[in-house]
Amino acid sequence: MTDYGHPLRFGTFVTPSAQDPEATVGLARLAEDLGYDLVTFQDHPYQPRFLDTWTLLSYVASATERIHVAPDVANVPMRPPAVLARAAASLDLLSGGRVDLALGAGAFWDAMVSMGVDRLAPGESVDALAEAIEVIRAIWGEDGESELFVPGRHHRLDGATPGPGTTRRIPVWLGALGPRMLRLVGEKADGWLPSLGRIGLDGLRAGNARIDAAATAAGRDPREITRLLNVSGTFGDADGANGLGGAPDLHGAPAAWVDRLLPLVLDEGVSTLVLATDDERTTRRFAEEVVPALREQVAHERAARGTDTSRVVPLAVRAARRDGIAYDEIPSSLAERAVEPGDAAYAGVRSNYLRGGSPGLVLRPRDTAEVVEALAFARAQAITRDVPLSVRSGGHGISGRSTNDGGVVIDLGALDTIEVLDDAARLVRVGPGARWGEVAAALSPRGWAITSGDYGGVGVGGLATAGGIGFLGRAHGLTIDHVRAVELVLADGSVVRASDDENPDLFWAVRGAGSQVGIVTSFDLVADEVAGVGFAQMVHDASDLAGFLERWGATVEAAPRDTTSFLLVGRPRPGQPVVAQSMTMVDSDDPDTVLARLQPFAAIAPLLAQATAQIVPYDAVVSAPQPGSHGGQGEPVSRSGLLEHLTPEAAARLAGLVLSGETYFFQIRSTGGAAEDVPADATAYAHRSARFSVVAMGASRSRLDARWDALADVFDGMYLSFDTDRRPETHAARLADAFPPATLDRLREIKRRVDPANVFRDNLPVLGPDPVDAEAAVR
Amino acid sequence: MPDYGHDLRFGSFVTPSAAAPHQVVALAELSEEVGLDLVTFQDHPYQAAFLDTWTLLSWVAARTERIRLAGNVLNLPLRPPAVLARSVASLDRLSGGRVELGLGAGGFWDPIVAMGGERLTPGESVDALSEGIDVIRGLWDTSTRERLVAGGAHHHVDGAKRGPAPAHDVEIWVGALKPRMLRLVGAKADGWLPSLPYLQSFEALARGNATIDAAAEDAGRDPRAVRRLLNVGGGFSADGGGGFLRGSPRQWAEQIAEVTLEHGVSTYVVMGDDPTTLAVVGQEVAPAARELVAAARGVPAPASAGPDGTTADGEVRA
Repeated sequence: MTDYGHPLRFGTFVTPSAQDPEATVGLARLAEDLGYDLVTFQDHPYQPRFLDTWTLLSYVASATERIHVAPDVANVPMRPPAVLARAAASLDLLSGGRVDLALGAGAFWDAMVSMGVDRLAPGESVDALAEAIEVIRAIWGEDGESELFVPGRHHRLDGATPGPGTTRRIPVWLGALGPRMLRLVGEKADGWLPSLGRIGLDGLRAGNARIDAAATAAGRDPREITRLLNVSGTFGDADGANGLGGAPDLHGAPAAWVDRLLPLVLDEGVSTLVLATDDERTTRRFAEEVVPALREQVAHERAARGTDTSRVVPLAVRAARRDGIAYDEIPSSLAERAVEPGDAAYAGVRSNYLRGGSPGLVLRPRDTAEVVEALAFARAQAITRDVPLSVRSGGHGISGRSTNDGGVVIDLGALDTIEVLDDAARLVRVGPGARWGEVAAALSPRGWAITSGDYGGVGVGGLATAGGIGFLGRAHGLTIDHVRAVELVLADGSVVRASDDENPDLFWAVRGAGSQVGIVTSFDLVADEVAGVGFAQMVHDASDLAGFLERWGATVEAAPRDTTSFLLVGRPRPGQPVVAQSMTMVDSDDPDTVLARLQPFAAIAPLLAQATAQIVPYDAVVSAPQPGSHGGQGEPVSRSGLLEHLTPEAAARLAGLVLSGETYFFQIRSTGGAAEDVPADATAYAHRSARFSVVAMGASRSRLDARWDALADVFDGMYLSFDTDRRPETHAARLADAFPPATLDRLREIKRRVDPANVFRDNLPVLGPDPVDAEAAVR
Repeated sequence: MPDYGHDLRFGSFVTPSAAAPHQVVALAELSEEVGLDLVTFQDHPYQAAFLDTWTLLSWVAARTERIRLAGNVLNLPLRPPAVLARSVASLDRLSGGRVELGLGAGGFWDPIVAMGGERLTPGESVDALSEGIDVIRGLWDTSTRERLVAGGAHHHVDGAKRGPAPAHDVEIWVGALKPRMLRLVGAKADGWLPSLPYLQSFEALARGNATIDAAAEDAGRDPRAVRRLLNVGGGFSADGGGGFLRGSPRQWAEQIAEVTLEHGVSTYVVMGDDPTTLAVVGQEVAPAARELVAAARGVPAPASAGPDGTTADGEVRA
């Protein structure tokens, strides 16, 4: 008696008839409408009465929405497996994870030879299939290698690249008969898909036993392997025709079908039943009269027996797990979307924009309730003591790591809604997982904008809790100055609102040091009226770099508030002038105004290229990013400093840094203007008198730190988001740079109240980098 | 031989990026909405950042109703021609006769070998393409029930059953640059589909056409049996400085008409993923170019049917 406890699923096996293609597709649609889980088609590429199976599967998947599609089974000798693998991955991406790949070693060799295939002996065809599976899994990236080598005799890879990444691990099922094939199922496959008419009950039983033994010998749990079964039937007499040839397996009334199928599920381990039929009425009656009864009786019997129906994780996936995380205890609401190192989706979620990661688990909650569950789970994991929890909005964090090695990441990407709450007040509600380019695009049709930084791919959550020094900053202030309320999940899992009227302490902290006090799950922001902006990029000869910086700084400070400028200075190259690139935005759509604002910038130094200036909507500058995942590697090295004026001395010292060649990315953003209107103690971002934000990135941490530390007296504070200095001996100094004394004291007091155990300690933590024994803290 | 007299057609060439599958499909759907005749995708099965072209074409077929679909061009070394023939016929049937076969001999041998394919010399790749075409056409030809024996050393079938036949006469368009390939196009293909950036000049285009014409005649075929297609790139600006497809939609139409009348190109496949460009090509450039060509040929302008079937009115310019 074997019941592997797999969920019960039902499919159809439809003749891929070329005669009336619309009818063939229609049967697939019917199966979906009737609630079948799966529609399958046989694959005989030498059969001219049939449509090509892969073409048909792709077409059907496109014409349906939920049903899975699978070949039953694919003819591997006629389909080069590397291309088949990419095709399956592509169909998985297009269909949202609805393709399952069933393979066969090929059976009708005369027909295949007539189509130009080399004949293989039965043993060779099994070897070839085994090699094909290796090729396919390698192409799907299951090896974790970036260059693929499979030295097969029949199928090989010699330096191919894996990809594209699939939405989930595509199951590989085999149609198999002989002992060697069954052993291959047990060792390498995720399912067995024979036809009852060909193997009979004895064959089914013996086959399962062989598969179980082979699986166990290979270190796999037999429960990792799904047992599917093609069956044929007619609701009439036993003489009725059926889609598999020979007498139908099932006949008579639906109740008789149930009697025949029930033991196959409860005693013979079958969990997916695929009905071979092209008859609409049979398809319908099975779904309406057999399936419900089967489901009910199976559920009843399994409950009575206490059958283990928990999800089985394949060996390959289990082997990649990291210590200190109870993967099997992930809450069911989060389990399906959770990504662990062995999952196909891992490559796309492990890293952030600038940083490579190897987290032990990435949780992807879809709403506040799931964020609460994710946080509770993360806190309960042993690893979180040693590896701080990472929280990710858009994955552009520099100081906020948003990934880690072996720990838990909470990825808020699915909390990405943007909605207008109050048109008259220009109040919008935005999720932390939305990106600023998407926000800009959503607000643009109304003539609104929210200043947000310089790149549309940056996530809302990180930037709107830290500061937000953007292209409209002098005109409209920091991004945090537009926040009117937040919904916040605290370390203990409670969900609170914070605003001027509710939890004002938290509201103060969340604007400037939000990452320290909780996870914001929703922002209410006020947008500004911005019809169009003038935007110019200029390339300047900055040969006298110190002089240039000083003059640019003076030009900025002399400009009206409607003008904000950012400056990038390139790494100096021998024999070439130092080049500075300015990007200047004017909050005006009047060409005369824009030109008047830009003229002084053009006059700072000789221009090395024609300056381009345009009047555009804000979202043309801060635009929605290209889709795709992050692929950062290594660790960024970045230092930040804020200062009030680019004095001659400051300019000279900063020029020295650039000319040393130690920084490959040197940017100064002008801030101040409207940002200065907010009192320093109104938010946790206290640097209201700063007019310039400097960031420098370098290849060598030690060399950049040496130069930057020597500049300490130039600066008045730093913007914590852009600084990655984590030396224990400088922690206090960095904290002091980020938070003046009164700010730091207030922040610590709040932190001790809402996060006494120091759960949120990933990003310049005010209580230090270690977890706090909360009970000891209370004592 | 200038102007083979073919109807003017316009198509898109959308990057089959795996990072944004729904955007890719949306661009294909947009191509149909804006009245383009054809949507195409390149085929590099060794490129892990791309969606599989045949799967994508099949998917797009189910999402569209009128637009033609083609690989640009399908990679024969990694797509055995017998199965390819049946796949094309199948999709042509499923889509109501909208598939054409853009086919290439393959050019990047290292990645082909990396995927398990065989390395061929340029000469061998021409032979292989020739054999592939024979196999494909033979399998499509159900006018006889005789089992098919076709091909040669690289691709062959030996007693295969013919069929299913496609729903319409599928054209085989070949990407080609060198003389042997061009002669193969003239002898056996229904279309020549090069990329203007690779040709580098219209002189090269003219030479290619001449080679094809001569080879067609040698094979007893009318050169007009070979459609001349062209992958082009461009952008719109007020003036464009006179560059090819760099100016206004009107300038595009004029330049295209000139190339059609002088070089016989009849299908322009516009490379690029910008929806606005595709819309302007379909809605402004295409009708204008058709009018100009019709006027020059002295025939009535064909009805430029918009997506809802209405005909565009327009001046016929002399």
